[in-house]
Amino acid sequence: MYKTLIKASLGLIFLAALLVIPRYVESPYALHMMILLFLSVSQGQSWNILGGYAGQYSVGHAAYFGVGAYTTMMLMYSRQVVPWVGVWVGVAIVIVVALVIGSICFRLRGPYFVLASIAVAEIMRLSAINLTTLTNGAEGILATEIPAFKIGERVITDFLTKVPFYYIGLFLALFTIAITYWVQHSKLGYYFQAIREDQDAAHSLGIHITVYKNIGLVISAVLTSLAGAFYGIYVGFVDPPTVLGLDVSVQIMLICIIGGMGTIWGPVLGSLLLVPLSEALRSNMITEGLVKIGLVSADSRIGLFLKENLSHAHVLLYGILVVLVILFMPEGLMGFIKKMAPRRNREAV
Amino acid sequence: MAVFLQSLISGILIGGVYALIGIGLTLIFGVMRVVNFAHGDIMMVGMYLTYLLFTLMGIDPFVSVLISFPLMFFFGGFLQKVFINRVLNAVAQNQILLTIGLGLIMSNTVMLIFTSDYKILTTSYSSSTIQVGGGVSVSTPLLISFLITAAITAALGWFLLKTDTGQAIRATAQDRDAAQLMGINVSRMSVIAFGLGAALAGTAGALISPTYYIFPQVGGTFTLKAFVITVLGGMGSVVGATLGGILIGVTESMSAVYISSGWKDVVVFVLFLLVLLFKPSGLMGKSRT
Repeated sequence: MYKTLIKASLGLIFLAALLVIPRYVESPYALHMMILLFLSVSQGQSWNILGGYAGQYSVGHAAYFGVGAYTTMMLMYSRQVVPWVGVWVGVAIVIVVALVIGSICFRLRGPYFVLASIAVAEIMRLSAINLTTLTNGAEGILATEIPAFKIGERVITDFLTKVPFYYIGLFLALFTIAITYWVQHSKLGYYFQAIREDQDAAHSLGIHITVYKNIGLVISAVLTSLAGAFYGIYVGFVDPPTVLGLDVSVQIMLICIIGGMGTIWGPVLGSLLLVPLSEALRSNMITEGLVKIGLVSADSRIGLFLKENLSHAHVLLYGILVVLVILFMPEGLMGFIKKMAPRRNREAV
Repeated sequence: MAVFLQSLISGILIGGVYALIGIGLTLIFGVMRVVNFAHGDIMMVGMYLTYLLFTLMGIDPFVSVLISFPLMFFFGGFLQKVFINRVLNAVAQNQILLTIGLGLIMSNTVMLIFTSDYKILTTSYSSSTIQVGGGVSVSTPLLISFLITAAITAALGWFLLKTDTGQAIRATAQDRDAAQLMGINVSRMSVIAFGLGAALAGTAGALISPTYYIFPQVGGTFTLKAFVITVLGGMGSVVGATLGGILIGVTESMSAVYISSGWKDVVVFVLFLLVLLFKPSGLMGKSRT
């Protein structure tokens, strides 16, 4: 009883802190980092529902991310549809796409499902490149300004600073966490987990496998497309490789796998590790740090090499992390922590 | 008619190289039941190896096969012993993730060393063609690479059918436990199979390097193509992979001519999905559940 109370109050304090951060933090860079973190949490959490709970490893989530991002941006760019309307068009399209993909891919198991999901995402990417009249092809779509959000005549926000994005991102992250919590504690979640553990046993117990897999896919796809739309509006630019590429699918999956699949806090943990690390690499912070503490001199060959190349190395880091996680902690960070925690704690959890 | 023949012939020629990539993948899957998502990246390593040998030592890409085949064999054996071997009994998903991770490491390490610029390997015969008659011409490098592919495939067939090691590999692919009971060193066969698979992929990389752009991310497309080929032919079937490779090569060149070159990969993937849906065991495969 005490423990739940403490946990709940700690959670509320943390939430309140997150809500007031933009009032006190003015650095756009810090807000940018937080927004990336929220985006990553919602991506990882969306994948978690299908991959972590229902056990269907999709390596094609870029399809939903990209359709969400592209629909919103295309509607805004060529039809002047405001993004908060466009998002829902994107969601509607993604539901249809997911059901089509699901009806094809869920007839297949294991590696075949993985292959089919990749193939579908690649078809999407190639179509985005080739349907130039619709998508602007390989050039991508650039949105120079986002219309202000008004209710009646009152302007709620004009999207000029990062603050509105911060709150949308925070809401999205919390929303996906809430959905995951709900999935884990509902009958639906038990069905998912039964399918993950043993598909045939689940089937023999009367669980309609295809129906529930499709439900999992639709939930996951809708959340991913919301994240995609948010990404598109926030960055203001989409092109086929950045929202539909195979890298995107892999990154979405990694957040969850590194953090711990099938757990509520796994994707959060994964994001907390991956986002700062890849940002530090991208912005050359690590090289600068090494130079500052005198390990590497700035104009030595190694220093120049690091400066030139380390910023491209974040994907390399993903690769190394995946290999390490699979070999040494296949349950992800969450599983690792649980294993390391003393026995009495484990029983309490 | 000339256009049709032309695209048919070039499709078959490029399909030969695809077959080589597919055979490597199918061999690895057959023996270890591991779907190797790093296959295209291994091929990319072979391309860069060929590029290095050509620019540093002036070795012709087709001659360099003699060097890159054994090197890639050891590279593959190393990958199997150090990484893949540890997940042989893990769930399929973890095997897939591990190979995806290895592929990312390979492509990004190459990118750090060579930057992501496109490299072109220009030989004296890169753009030369041979007239066959009837208005049909054949690209010389493609023809040479097809002939080398055919020779390697024949040699591989002989190795698998006639030698003791080859038979041991096939036995391992048929039934791992039974093979082990018969006294076959199953884990050594796995190393050899992965080595062979990598060597075949690397060779394919060497063979297409005179006609294809070389860049660190080239692997992804080929990994997918290799899957399409093996699924089409039936996972684990070497003959199937050969047929699948040629079929995909022809499909690609036909759709590039009759539809448009931008959509040719889409046609291939749609074909792939259709095969997965209607004949998941492939053209030559026995169905396995």
